Amino acid sequence: MSEQKDVLLRVDGLKMYFPITQGIVVQRHVGDVKAVDGLTFDIHQGETLGLVGESGCGKSTTGRAILQLYKPTAGQVIFEGEDITAMRGESLRKMRRRMQMIFQDPYASLNPRMTVGNIVSEPLEVHSLFNGKERREKVKELLDVVGLNPYFVNRYPHEFSGGQRQRIGVARALALNPDFIVCDEPISALDVSIQAQVINLLEDLQQEFGLTYLFIAHDLSVVRHISDRIAVMYLGKLVELTTRDELYANPMHPYSQALLSAVPIPDPVVEEKRQRVILEGDVPSPANPPKGCNFCTRCPKAFEPCYETEPEFKEIESGHWVACHLY
Amino acid sequence: MAVKAIPHAKIKKPRTMWGDVVLRFSQNLPAMMGLIVVIGLYAVALLAPILVTTNYTAIDLDNVRSAPSLVHYLGTDELGRDVYSRVVWAARSAAFVSIFVPALSLSLGLFFGIIAGYVGGWVDTIVMRLGDILFAFPGLLFVFFIAATIKPAILLWVKGIGLTEFAKQGFVDYIVVFTALSLVGWPGLARLVRGQFLTLRNREFVLAAEAIGVSQWRIALKHILPNAMTPVIVVVSGGIGGTIAAETSLSFLGIGLQPPNPSWGQMISDYYIYWRNTELWPLLFIPSIILVVIILAFTFVGDGLHEALNPYLD
Repeated sequence: MSEQKDVLLRVDGLKMYFPITQGIVVQRHVGDVKAVDGLTFDIHQGETLGLVGESGCGKSTTGRAILQLYKPTAGQVIFEGEDITAMRGESLRKMRRRMQMIFQDPYASLNPRMTVGNIVSEPLEVHSLFNGKERREKVKELLDVVGLNPYFVNRYPHEFSGGQRQRIGVARALALNPDFIVCDEPISALDVSIQAQVINLLEDLQQEFGLTYLFIAHDLSVVRHISDRIAVMYLGKLVELTTRDELYANPMHPYSQALLSAVPIPDPVVEEKRQRVILEGDVPSPANPPKGCNFCTRCPKAFEPCYETEPEFKEIESGHWVACHLY
Repeated sequence: MAVKAIPHAKIKKPRTMWGDVVLRFSQNLPAMMGLIVVIGLYAVALLAPILVTTNYTAIDLDNVRSAPSLVHYLGTDELGRDVYSRVVWAARSAAFVSIFVPALSLSLGLFFGIIAGYVGGWVDTIVMRLGDILFAFPGLLFVFFIAATIKPAILLWVKGIGLTEFAKQGFVDYIVVFTALSLVGWPGLARLVRGQFLTLRNREFVLAAEAIGVSQWRIALKHILPNAMTPVIVVVSGGIGGTIAAETSLSFLGIGLQPPNPSWGQMISDYYIYWRNTELWPLLFIPSIILVVIILAFTFVGDGLHEALNPYLD
């Protein structure tokens, strides 16, 4: 999918800071956790953009900020030419029909006091789509699409397994017939045997309904399987963005190289020769990121400018974006 | 496509959460006994006009301070009033208190708790500080204070809206007692509801609802509230026994329900002089024992609900 496609969603300088306050009566603002610190990227119509990075680097926050579940501190999210960060109230609510989310934890993302039928029909209800019998039919159809028995409508989430619950979550996201779905680590809470089922389901649905995915994950083999392009994130910033094949064949940023060297290879002979780049130390606190490049504290290739100036996120080769002083 | 429904031979009837609660509650012996006593209280309260042998204010001057007999099952007091009828009629007061006070405190607690927990910011600060101020007073003392001071105002208001007849019948005393107890009861509930809202509003299913485009009030009422209710139900049901005890204390001290409205607390206060009297002791002990049984019954029901709603405790 290397040919240039229409841009569905453009994220421009997205920042999401969570304020740190002190004091009981009067809250003093003493700093910010810079969970997402200036992201710029495009998502093309019909593609799957993988977003990888280690725990706590701001992947989920990015997804939520794009969907305006958190109000971004700065930056724009432009969906089909409209800036949704500027939207409020009713217009934002209408926009939500087109962008949905599949959550990480299928145990926490379904209201335990609602039946499956109510969970899946709620999006239709709040947007006044269909009525009575038609709506019930639509719910059954959705359950069927995600591979659940439509007779389950009157059951409660606790009666299902993790994989089945995730299917319920998928059905809910599909109910509004969205164009764009943020998949926030949709399989990391599931058993390995179930992961493949859900991945296949997501791929089938993408083909059937022409969906565009932002697929957030930390499992590199899954991302490699499902993504067209991959963005690598470190401490609230993008370090590399390119097509899947390019990234796996030619990772440029030292962090991407370290990350990819950690993927085990299912061939004992090759696995034996695999050279791992072991990173020293811990991720710095997002409340107090290092001066210069965020990665300079752990980078095996760091040199003077890395400690002084922040590298620019620039296009090194066609479609291959890197933020590193080496290039 | 490979996505197809998995056929299931048999679809079981779904088990609802409340179905499970009822099942667990019914297997709890003390709770069921408590429930029977509580139902008994409401039955007596409802059927009081049929159960009494004479009007609870009627005075039988031929039988003053008489011991239990076939005419006066529990004897008569120093005014010649039938104690049995008074005990039965007083069940109405207890039943009223056990319904209206929790209902009022719950309404106030839910209202302020939801506002504080969901709106947050300075609204939260004001509501919770108000609650803290009420909390700062010793509970029962504050009830006495309110009960002793608001009566004239309420009396004026009742007469003002033209309900003079009600004012004569002790209707005002009920309002005084309900108001005093509810005013002291709501801050605890508001705190609880607020805490529940604060934890639940960051849960993923709430975010999911927001992502769908569910409006703020619908999220608060349909997604958060039902999940916040279990501990609230437990606290409210567990507190009813204490509420009845508080009403009794008020009436015992003479600032609660006034004669001729009978209340067990008032009867205990009137008759405690007979505690060593070989003939008239039932006057004191019968209302006392009934009171203890009722309070225990409500406590057992509360505990039973607690265990039924939180099955992982044991």
